[in-house]
Amino acid sequence: MSKQNSYKNLTQEQIKILQSQGCWAQDWSLVKVADGFEPERVRNVQFLGRIYIGRFTGNIKLAGGLEKPSGIYNATVANCTIGDDVRISNIGVHIANYDIGSKACIENVGTMATNPGASFGNGVRVAVLNEAGGREVVLFDELSAQFAYMMSMHRYRPNLTTKLFEVAQKEAEKVRCDRGRVGPAAQILSTVEIIDVNIGAQALIEAASSLVNGTILSSAEAPAVIGSNVSAEDFIIAENASVSGAAHLKKVYISQGCRIGKQFSAENSLFFSNCEAFNGEACSIFAGPYTVTHHKSTLLIACLFSFYNAGSGTNQSNHMYKLGPVHEGKLERGTKAGSFSYMMWPCRVGAFSIILGKHTRIFDTSDFPFSHLEAGPDGRCLMIPGLYLATAGILRDGAKWPSRDRRKGCKKSDIISFDIFSPYTVGKMIKGCSILKELQDNTERSVEEVSVNGAQIKRVLMRTSQKFYRTGIEMYLLENVLARAEKALDEGIKKINESFATDEGAVYSPDWVDIGGQLMPKERLLDLTTAIENGKVADAEAFSIEIQKIHRSLEKDEWLWVKNTYKEYFGRDLEKLTKDELGCAAESYQRFRTKFLKQVLADAEKDFDKNSRTGFGQDGSAEDLDEDFRQVRGEYDANRFVKEIRDNIEAVEHRVSKFREKISTIF
Amino acid sequence: MDIEQRVKKIVAKQLKVNENDIKQESEFVRDLGADSIQSIELIALFEEEFDIEIDEQAALSAKTIGSAIAFIKKVIEDSGGKTR
Repeated sequence: MSKQNSYKNLTQEQIKILQSQGCWAQDWSLVKVADGFEPERVRNVQFLGRIYIGRFTGNIKLAGGLEKPSGIYNATVANCTIGDDVRISNIGVHIANYDIGSKACIENVGTMATNPGASFGNGVRVAVLNEAGGREVVLFDELSAQFAYMMSMHRYRPNLTTKLFEVAQKEAEKVRCDRGRVGPAAQILSTVEIIDVNIGAQALIEAASSLVNGTILSSAEAPAVIGSNVSAEDFIIAENASVSGAAHLKKVYISQGCRIGKQFSAENSLFFSNCEAFNGEACSIFAGPYTVTHHKSTLLIACLFSFYNAGSGTNQSNHMYKLGPVHEGKLERGTKAGSFSYMMWPCRVGAFSIILGKHTRIFDTSDFPFSHLEAGPDGRCLMIPGLYLATAGILRDGAKWPSRDRRKGCKKSDIISFDIFSPYTVGKMIKGCSILKELQDNTERSVEEVSVNGAQIKRVLMRTSQKFYRTGIEMYLLENVLARAEKALDEGIKKINESFATDEGAVYSPDWVDIGGQLMPKERLLDLTTAIENGKVADAEAFSIEIQKIHRSLEKDEWLWVKNTYKEYFGRDLEKLTKDELGCAAESYQRFRTKFLKQVLADAEKDFDKNSRTGFGQDGSAEDLDEDFRQVRGEYDANRFVKEIRDNIEAVEHRVSKFREKISTIF
Repeated sequence: MDIEQRVKKIVAKQLKVNENDIKQESEFVRDLGADSIQSIELIALFEEEFDIEIDEQAALSAKTIGSAIAFIKKVIEDSGGKTR
């Protein structure tokens, strides 16, 4: 777009041409044009107020390869700056108070206007988790999952909350303006109403119904898409996001890579990176990365989620008919809800657990990740801790999420820690194991079930659950030790021991936390909190720098945690391990890892067993059943996942064998 | 009670079937209706009953009462032959 001081007044000749082409101006002296402006591509236009127009020489390319000439046709334009080779055509009411970037296309739009003092969705307060208020998050363009998480979840630190509010408000104020922006090459087509909306470069808005008070962050490398019949108010939609299919949004943040559509409706909700929401409804949710809900009749309400999958008909209640809709749920990362599962808030569910049935009692299973949580006939939660640790689903999820990161071509606002096994989950397993051991030791054999924070555990399964967790704990610790040792294997036992040393700058905490999808030692969270409270981190950019720093330290923090935990768990200092002890550690690793992978294989095999073949061979004979199954589902041995796991088992064996051979020869 | 009787008693109680209907060739899933959770619980009950440690994945490959009994006998034997 040419600078405004390079524009000049229309010549009398140009005004005559424009008038002959059906154009009218409130005051022609307020209509300025760029050098090289030719009036032929401006027809049937009413100009109100100050107008700046660029050059129209080229064409706009639309979907399907169609090209249309740039220019202004059949429109009322008020107080706008129109860039080079913009196409504006068939505007029903007017376009007012917009700066429109070059090569943008605005066609068949009803009303597009910015009101004085517009904030474009910034500053909107979104009431997450508590529908009645108390955990509001202030929207601003660069909002990250981590920022939002700390703002909403740490209300027990009022000073922190105040500071974060100040930062958010400051960011929001930067955007306040009497004029809206349409970025270069954005396309806004067949949309009824756009009021107080900033639109980024190369965004595509097509057949939307109403967009009011919002921002669509978009760039040429990371365009955002708003599709048919979408209605959104008080919103920010980020790069690479797509909102379509008559989705209805009010007071929402849709972060990078999200997919919202198929009549999904959401209010007072935040959806962070790579969430998917179709067909259902959300109210007052904090959807951390990879929260997915695809089905009709699914309501997500008043809850914190991440890496979550909602089965069809999933439902929760946050309203107990006392003091309003004030109850909250917290589902830690990786949790899934089975079809038609129901939960009554408040509840908290441990990571990577599966919720089945209708839960009408309050419970907290956060110390027991990978658990089976099934509602009994009376609505009580029956828990089997650790049951889902060694399952095909867990491994597939671990591989799936990083490969489905749709955030391309833009600075990633959210930090995402993808690892299934980490100090966060393994730390919880260690704690869970310890609780189970104590329960087992202190529960009489005559007792069938024990209640732990509202969930029932069968006494007889306490030992089994400890076994489940031990597999995960030992596999994780030994894997990390082996990986570290392998790097120095050629240099002798002394060097190997040295390689186990703490990395400079590493921070240790026994407990790790999950901050909106980013894992870190609790100590780092406390340091960050202090820095915010004392003003050292005073804006969004500084916050982003800090969480990036924490993320870069993840590997060394993790290693320090492994080292300290190894000492506590096995009673040995890694830096003093002998060759023989390392050899044994490698052997143990192989045993646990192989056991884990074989359990995963056994789990995958259930999808090929007799029960899974029920209903196959329709209209055929008994022999046709197996053939029908084979044709549709394939064979277990040929299944790609199965082959990968088997290859993995071989690779582990080979790796450990090589390690043990080498370690036996080193000095 | 010998091992077979003890196994059948546990299975009958856990799966709510008549002990007399449990045969050596009865399959846990197909004949006795055990689901995957009940199978895990049965293993835990056998561990407690016989004071042994059972590898769940190895145990789940024992599909019938007879093979489960044989499996348990082998585990007892491997752990020194002692049971309560």
